[in-house]
Amino acid sequence: MIYRETGQFRTSYAEDQAIFRLREDRIGIAAILAIAWVGVPLLADEYLLRAILIPFLILSLAAIGLNLLLGYCGQISLGTGAFMAVGAYSAYNLALRLPELPLLLDFFLAGLIAAGVGIVFGLPSFRIKGLYLAVATLALQFFADWAFLRVRWFTNYTPSGSVTAPVLDFFGWVVDTEREKYWLCLAFVCAIALLAKNLVRSRLGRSWMAIRDMDIAAEIIGIRPMHAKLSAFAVSSFVAGLAGVLWAFVHLGSWEPLAFSIDMSFRLLFMVIIGGMGSILGSFLGAAFITILPIFLNQAPAMIGIRLSTAMVSHLEFMIFGTLIVLFLIWEPHGLARLWQIGKEKMRLWPFPY
Amino acid sequence: MAVASAPVATSAERAARRERRIGEVLLAVENISLRFGGVRALSNVSFDIRRGEIRAIIGPNGAGKSSMLNVINGFYQPQEGRIVWKGRVFTRMRPHEAAKGGIARTFQNIALFKGMSTLDNIMTGRILKMRASFLEQAFRIGRGRSEELRERAFVERIIDFLEITHIRHVPVGKLPYGLQKRVELARALAMEPELLLLDEPMAGMNLEEKEDMCRFILDVNEEFGTTVALIEHDMSVVMDISDRVVVLDYGRLLADGTPEEVRNDPAVIEAYLGVAHG
Ligand SMILES: Nc1ncnc2c1ncn2[C@@H]1O[C@H](COP(=O)(O)OP(=O)(O)OP(=O)(O)O)[C@@H](O)[C@H]1O
Ligand SMILES: [Mg+2]
Repeated sequence: MIYRETGQFRTSYAEDQAIFRLREDRIGIAAILAIAWVGVPLLADEYLLRAILIPFLILSLAAIGLNLLLGYCGQISLGTGAFMAVGAYSAYNLALRLPELPLLLDFFLAGLIAAGVGIVFGLPSFRIKGLYLAVATLALQFFADWAFLRVRWFTNYTPSGSVTAPVLDFFGWVVDTEREKYWLCLAFVCAIALLAKNLVRSRLGRSWMAIRDMDIAAEIIGIRPMHAKLSAFAVSSFVAGLAGVLWAFVHLGSWEPLAFSIDMSFRLLFMVIIGGMGSILGSFLGAAFITILPIFLNQAPAMIGIRLSTAMVSHLEFMIFGTLIVLFLIWEPHGLARLWQIGKEKMRLWPFPY
Repeated sequence: MAVASAPVATSAERAARRERRIGEVLLAVENISLRFGGVRALSNVSFDIRRGEIRAIIGPNGAGKSSMLNVINGFYQPQEGRIVWKGRVFTRMRPHEAAKGGIARTFQNIALFKGMSTLDNIMTGRILKMRASFLEQAFRIGRGRSEELRERAFVERIIDFLEITHIRHVPVGKLPYGLQKRVELARALAMEPELLLLDEPMAGMNLEEKEDMCRFILDVNEEFGTTVALIEHDMSVVMDISDRVVVLDYGRLLADGTPEEVRNDPAVIEAYLGVAHG
């Protein structure tokens, strides 16, 4: 019985409401944080940081954003890429046009602008649901693709439409090595994950879930659907916008509007479905899965002596994603996070299952 | 007409005690008419509910009972008539207004939040009592922290009262029907309503569960002074616990009075015999 609840009595509601209620969970998360903050930067090489860990962190952040909207509030969005783009181009223009502002403030304001756009495009959710809402958010995606490609002001009239992020200078701390970039992203991810977790276990989060599970019942206990939905759009877009800034400024460095196309929106949707709707942990699991699978598919066959063409690998990738999504949607809408939880529950009782 | 003629021993005393407490008119529906296309769900129905009483609404299937509750808490908009709630006149009540004003309800087909735990479901009933700002919630500071603890303690009292401590952390979708009905009552009680509307709270329950539910309703009424309006098909229950009964039939008001009066009303007897119900 390495993992168990018996003998750990909670003597106050404050303890019962803690994020990690079990001692084993608290030890586990402390270990993960120590590894993430100290172990990984010491051991990982540049390639691992740049090609895998930094994108993983930023995509986790974006997935948290989408999960707040889709997993917690039940409002489907195919426009997460667009919110990321709004964040990225807002930060770019703020840094360019108001150079006296500190970069951190640019990031924050970019998130707020994305939140504003989120509210505007969340308005249709008052009237339409499900598929129709998906189509409305898809329209935003296409609109954003078009706007950032065609409205040259956004890209400062650069001939190619490709723009470059400014030097990452945070009050004198210049982030230029991969390790520092990793730390920067990790700091954002830890902070936002904690805030998101706090929100979903507070009044606001419960009103989102109430709307998701049964909007008419939510209304009779005094929840205003419009308020709940728009706040979910706003918070979700803020987080996605921030992820967009990091993706552009930290991961890509210079980028084109295509960086935030519909592909990105779908990838994030897959992450949330596979990782687990309505779970912050699931956002991380989904992001890890989708970042690592292509790399695994690239390397694994070669290791056992099979050579696959790159085209074949990317076909395989899509086939596996597709199959998994269908399977998860049918059998486990709460995704990998739920599987993890079931595993934990088994461990709790082990070796005495009843 | 399956009417239990021998009420339980305590019910007479209880009724006597309540009688002393029953106060002014809390809610009056006046000349309510509601149509769905060609269907007349309610035609010109008027009655009132007094503070502190247990008011039953009975009638055959499709009589318009649920529709009446839906009108009261703003779910359906009647074409004619008005609602007087605590002296204020509404021609159109809205669900969140009703909630704010102190009207809570449960549904005939349970309307819980299936993906949330029992505790979270009941906590949603406290949403209107919570004031923490967005930042206080996100950082879990100030009211964001204190309110959660305060409301949790409040909700725990309801959980104790309704004897559902063992299912606190279970997602309600996994609970058996009888317990779901109880959690739904708990969520309504968490709103500290002045008027509690219960749509067939005992439907589909076994005898033991029904007795528990009856006891809870009586206790709520007595201990918290909550006014209750309930729809129920089981006549023995209705006769036992209600102070006054409204009878609806085909959307019309058929009778209104004490259980005794209603039971002996020829029109009521005929309506029930006529549709071979009860
Ligand atoms: N949303 C609606 N749309 C159309 N017709 C409706 C609607 N709600 C109720 N009705 C109709 O109004 C009439 C009264 O229905 P209501 O549900 O109020 O009956 P009830 O007395 O609660 O019956 P039961 O005992 O079966 O619950 C029925 O003919 C029903 O079909
Ligand atoms: Mg009904």
